[in-house]
Amino acid sequence: MKNYLKLVNFEVNRFFKLYLILIGLTMLSQLIGAGIISQTYMKNAKQLMAENQLSMSQYVEQYGTFSFDRFTDSEWFLLPIFFCIAMLMIYVFFIWYRDWLGKNTFIYRLFMLPTERIAIYFAKLTTIMLLVLGLIALQILLILMEKQIVNKIIPIDLQSNFSIYTSSTLNMWRWLYPTSFTEFILVYALGLLFVAVIFTAILIERSYGLKGIFYAIFYGLLSLGVFFAPILLVNVYTNYFYPLEIFLMVLVTSMIVLGSAIWIANHLLKYKIRV
Amino acid sequence: MTVKFNNRDPVYVQVIRHFKEKIAKGYFEPGQEIPSRRELANQLKINPNTAQRAYKEMGEQGLIFTEGNMPSCITKDEAVLKSVREELIIEAVDLFLGSIKSIDVPLSEVLELVKKKHDAESGEAEESK
Amino acid sequence: MIEVKNVNKKYGRKQVLKDISFTAEKGEITCLIGINGVGKTTIMKAIMALTPINSGEILMDGEKITKESFEKITFIPDTITMLPQMKINEAFAFMADFYKSWNPQRAEELLQFFKLDPNERIANLSKGNTAKVNMLLGLSLDVDYLLMDEPFSGIDIFSREQIAEVFTSHLIEERGVIITTHEISDIEHLIDKAVLMDEGAVLREFSVEEVRENEGKSVVDVMREVYRA
Repeated sequence: MKNYLKLVNFEVNRFFKLYLILIGLTMLSQLIGAGIISQTYMKNAKQLMAENQLSMSQYVEQYGTFSFDRFTDSEWFLLPIFFCIAMLMIYVFFIWYRDWLGKNTFIYRLFMLPTERIAIYFAKLTTIMLLVLGLIALQILLILMEKQIVNKIIPIDLQSNFSIYTSSTLNMWRWLYPTSFTEFILVYALGLLFVAVIFTAILIERSYGLKGIFYAIFYGLLSLGVFFAPILLVNVYTNYFYPLEIFLMVLVTSMIVLGSAIWIANHLLKYKIRV
Repeated sequence: MTVKFNNRDPVYVQVIRHFKEKIAKGYFEPGQEIPSRRELANQLKINPNTAQRAYKEMGEQGLIFTEGNMPSCITKDEAVLKSVREELIIEAVDLFLGSIKSIDVPLSEVLELVKKKHDAESGEAEESK
Repeated sequence: MIEVKNVNKKYGRKQVLKDISFTAEKGEITCLIGINGVGKTTIMKAIMALTPINSGEILMDGEKITKESFEKITFIPDTITMLPQMKINEAFAFMADFYKSWNPQRAEELLQFFKLDPNERIANLSKGNTAKVNMLLGLSLDVDYLLMDEPFSGIDIFSREQIAEVFTSHLIEERGVIITTHEISDIEHLIDKAVLMDEGAVLREFSVEEVRENEGKSVVDVMREVYRA
């Protein structure tokens, strides 16, 4: 347990510089974007109001309100998010491969530590989850700050009500900002499952070389299949299952997929892996 | 102390020989303390087990002795020291006789040459002092 | 004692280890000899569970190698086992954090002996100095067994002398050491046992002093005999 925590600390520190850059870029892009978009809108609005001699409420009647969506639909907001997601997706793979490739043969050291090798797996998994959580937290914070910026520039009367949960684009992000605590847990468990399967696939490739890639892909698809089996069942036998039953089925298949991912990883790390 | 060891004779035998030479030549005083086996291994750049073996053999041959936990010392036994000197001298003589055996020359002539050479070299040594 | 018993390993179609058996005693230096590619590194990795074997057994002091074993045995491969971006003292901190058997005084001593700067980044070191750091990391663990892969290769003669110095010092004493090399002449007088390998198999395993005494042959002589056949 202690070694696991040390490894988590170690892995997080390794990524930290890059992480700060991601945070910095996101903050910069979104905060500046909030300002710019608000300014542009106000400039335009003021001009129209002056030209046509409109009061604010008249303006709103004619031209509508400023929705926060304008900002959250813009590249200023979205690009850094996509960029962070892309970087983390790459790191899901790179967190393993970086210790094997090039001049770096740190994997020797990791495997020679007086600890169960599965702790390395868990540590890297935990690291990814923590990094994601961190960015989510950052985004929530940033939205609060961005709202402040918008409020400073655009009078409330010109704005429409905003909620993350009704916003059109951010609805896409419902996955990331779930409505309830349970949903939150479920979505992240799913993410964890996804990363765990990828990790095990990576270890399969590392243990079996070229043919390992095929085994790995096969394993990935198998896991996907098992996981979605209940969904398939539900679509075939429509209106047959109660929601709770569906939920339980998915829970079971998730456990199977997660359990096998960990078991396979442990077996490979102990008996089949090669540096 | 840098000694060149050959790789065909057991190293421990060569170490013992090296010690005997030093004793015969007087580099080691009777009762003088000798390096620990680990120090010796380090000085001569040999395996410590070899040094250990050499010390064991020398102990058995009576060349060195170890009292309790004290460092090992060269023997004080005059008889042993004398026999070591003799052993080396006899070896040299055997070698010498073996070399000249093939050359057919009377012993008196050989001995005279030996005396001449010996005096010349001692003389040179005297002069260079 | 490390016992390698009838170890076989196949890599693809090739049989890289063929019924390998030998032992390495504690307090002795055992040398695996053979040209490159003969399986010396592979067998070392197999001992450290860094590569799988198909059959056979590897025991350390009578037991299989587990995670706790890594406090009693360590491997010094010919590549650096630390992050290149780390400074030497950061590497020390890492080792101290994970290994109970890390000996900081010994590490300090070796640092001075090898004349290395603890604030230097590993990536910036020369090849010889990187090899020294690698060796330092292994030697500073109070382990019973040390496995070293080609400790003398690719480094200049002065570094080699320093490493030979290490072998005859208290740093190695009492430990069981397995080293591999393809250049035996430098270190013939340092080793206790030789294991001659060719094409994945052990051709001959012998105590070098015994062979000198009983057969009057050096290790190089035996090699000539054995590899000629």
